[in-house]
Amino acid sequence: MTMEATGFARHPSAAREGLRRLWYRVKGSPLTLVGAGIALVVLLVIVAAPILAPYPPDRISLSARLAAPSLQHLFGTDEVGRDLFSRVLFGARASCGIAFAIVIISTVVGSIVGCLSGVVGGVVDTAIMRLMDVFLALPALILAMALAAALGPSLFNAMLAVAVVRVPAYVRLARGQTLALRNRTYVKASRSFGASPAYLLRWHILPNALSPIIVQATLDLGGTILTAAALSFIGLGAQPPTSEWGSMVSSGRNYFLDQWWYITFPGLAILVSAMGFNLLGDGLRDMLDPRLGGR
Amino acid sequence: MKISRRLPTAVFAAFAAFALTGHSWATAKDVLVIDKAEDPPTADPGVEVSNNGYTLIFPAYERLVKYDGAKTDVIPEIAESWTVAPDNLSWTFKLASGHMFDDGSPVDAAAVKYSFDRVKKLAAGPGDMFPTIKDVVVVDPQTVKFELSAPFAPFLSALATSAGSIVNPKAQDHAVNGDDARAWLAEHSAGSGAFKIASWERNQQITLDPNPHYAGKAPAFKQVIFKIVREMSSRRLQLENGDADLIDQVPVDQAEAMKSSAGVAIQSNPSLYVVYLYLNNKKAPLDNPKVRQAISYAVDYKGLVDGVMQGQAEQMRGAVPDGMWGHDPQGMQYSYDLDKAKQLLADAGVSNLHVTYTYSQADSAWEPVGLALQASLAEIGVTLDMKNVADTTKRELVAKGDYDISTGAWTPDFADPFMFMNIWFDPTKMGAPGNRSFYENPKVTDLINKALQTVDQKEREKLYIDAQKITNEDAPYVLLFQKNDIFAMRSSVKGYVYNPMLIQVYNIADMSKSE
Repeated sequence: MTMEATGFARHPSAAREGLRRLWYRVKGSPLTLVGAGIALVVLLVIVAAPILAPYPPDRISLSARLAAPSLQHLFGTDEVGRDLFSRVLFGARASCGIAFAIVIISTVVGSIVGCLSGVVGGVVDTAIMRLMDVFLALPALILAMALAAALGPSLFNAMLAVAVVRVPAYVRLARGQTLALRNRTYVKASRSFGASPAYLLRWHILPNALSPIIVQATLDLGGTILTAAALSFIGLGAQPPTSEWGSMVSSGRNYFLDQWWYITFPGLAILVSAMGFNLLGDGLRDMLDPRLGGR
Repeated sequence: MKISRRLPTAVFAAFAAFALTGHSWATAKDVLVIDKAEDPPTADPGVEVSNNGYTLIFPAYERLVKYDGAKTDVIPEIAESWTVAPDNLSWTFKLASGHMFDDGSPVDAAAVKYSFDRVKKLAAGPGDMFPTIKDVVVVDPQTVKFELSAPFAPFLSALATSAGSIVNPKAQDHAVNGDDARAWLAEHSAGSGAFKIASWERNQQITLDPNPHYAGKAPAFKQVIFKIVREMSSRRLQLENGDADLIDQVPVDQAEAMKSSAGVAIQSNPSLYVVYLYLNNKKAPLDNPKVRQAISYAVDYKGLVDGVMQGQAEQMRGAVPDGMWGHDPQGMQYSYDLDKAKQLLADAGVSNLHVTYTYSQADSAWEPVGLALQASLAEIGVTLDMKNVADTTKRELVAKGDYDISTGAWTPDFADPFMFMNIWFDPTKMGAPGNRSFYENPKVTDLINKALQTVDQKEREKLYIDAQKITNEDAPYVLLFQKNDIFAMRSSVKGYVYNPMLIQVYNIADMSKSE
């Protein structure tokens, strides 16, 4: 059960045992394997884009504009003759890199605020939760658009905007976990020995609340890639010449009737990577969720 | 559960039905549907300077004179005849009877006076078409006299422009807070043209109904609908499916591809449509001619013409385009020369330059031009930020001078180099009226003002060519290319007449549909 997680850090042999059990379950779920495979490929592309890409992503060649896919240009070229294959590869850095950053920021901020809110309770808790309710009352994409537009269009601001919008989900999740954990015997015992809230948070609550948060974070990656791409699509995210899948789809849509490749490949990249992370997240949830664990 | 299982089948069946029967959404024969890329800013002849707005103003209003079909000579419209005094300072027009505004009141000399006084009073850009009108005098209800302070050679042609539209003086009833009905006329019409604006939903659609009191032959269309469709792909699909009869702003490569679609006719006509960039002459370091020259040398003109424009464009040789008198066939052209650009920047003592390129999607060439410029400037150590904004926002930023580099498209309203030289370079017309680079060179100002007051065309031509030699050197604008005017319509649409002075103006009163 939830003790597994605390066991991880303390006993290496138990950790190995846990991993072995995880692998055993993953083997039984091919979709999770596919998701993990896609995630690995995306990570590889992010790291190795400069080695894998045949051309610099911003190199313009007006004489080779809108060329169809060929051996020379695997995915064809865009309206100023840039190689789309190279741009899709480099686009992984902007599109998925930004998604990772968003999820990390919102997870860290969200879990700390949520756990604090749960541990401290009282007025602080009420204030934080009502504020989060305000955020949750607005549709996420609309709020992200408003924030990104207010901050000014750039990749960094789009990242901040989406991160802010995603925080409430984690706050609620972490707070729920904290409230449940607070009444566990071992926490009560620790508190009766005089442990401070900080100690409780560090040694009992955070480690035990972590696994559902990690699952949620993995699940969110796919959605975040989509939101970030959507912001770039409407011009609030990556600015030219940065290659980003959403903005490539955006400029490619003017050409899709004749040059199908321009919009197709960046679109497929978004589809595949978002799906990959979703499958991985789904699988992880099934495996790590204690209630479903015995299946 | 039952529903959800059957739904996919039903949807599939519906799709199959559509696919089998094909598309037959063609518009009714007496309704014309035009897809526009951008909402016209206004329909007020006293304010509007964009061809997008002329689309509405020309069918809704009449003018004293009009262009003769495809030619740039003028023939009578409201005016029946006219005489000019030997000193070229006094023009008397005799008005034809029978012309009526859409409320049934007659078009008389008082209406003519009202319209020209209003344009002058608003001083919003259209007034520049008549720089020397001193007074408009009502001689009798059918006779009106224009008194000029100085002879103005293209005066008669200027009367045929949007600025010369005759507005019903009753529009003044709609004035609020002394705005001379600007707010009301922006989205309504009060003219004697074949059509009147029936409704205008901003950024959605505009409907024109026939003017029951129109003096000419009743138009074939009972209704003309302008839809604002920003996406080129959507415009094209609507045209190909018959949901639209005419679409504007067709990029050259899409026009090529559409030539093979059934029922579509591409209109590609040689024009004096110039695509150029404004460089903000008031803002350092672009106030230094060397920096502006460097940017002019960093543009791959040949690549743009051959690549982006597929060869259907021509690099400029000075501000006056090929095909208009005053064009200098030996004019200096900038070339793509990064070494020279680098050298010029070094001479100017500028390094780590960071500039913004403000553009919109109103012209499909602007984005590729920006991307190409960004790449070549990067090679000489200049960072270019691309700022994509709505077209109205771009116009406002340019009018305020709040930009570094921005994009322009210009087409003359009458066939005189005045339309380029006296508007682009006159320091009194800075910002929205036309000197959008905020350029000022006293030598050029002298030459163009002298050309304006000269009547002899040979002499004027020489003055304009001399002025262009200086402006080419000063490089206040990056002169990219002149291109064909391209749009597409259903081949069932008949009667369109192209006039190079009337880009985006469709003669809908004379057009019809064969099916």
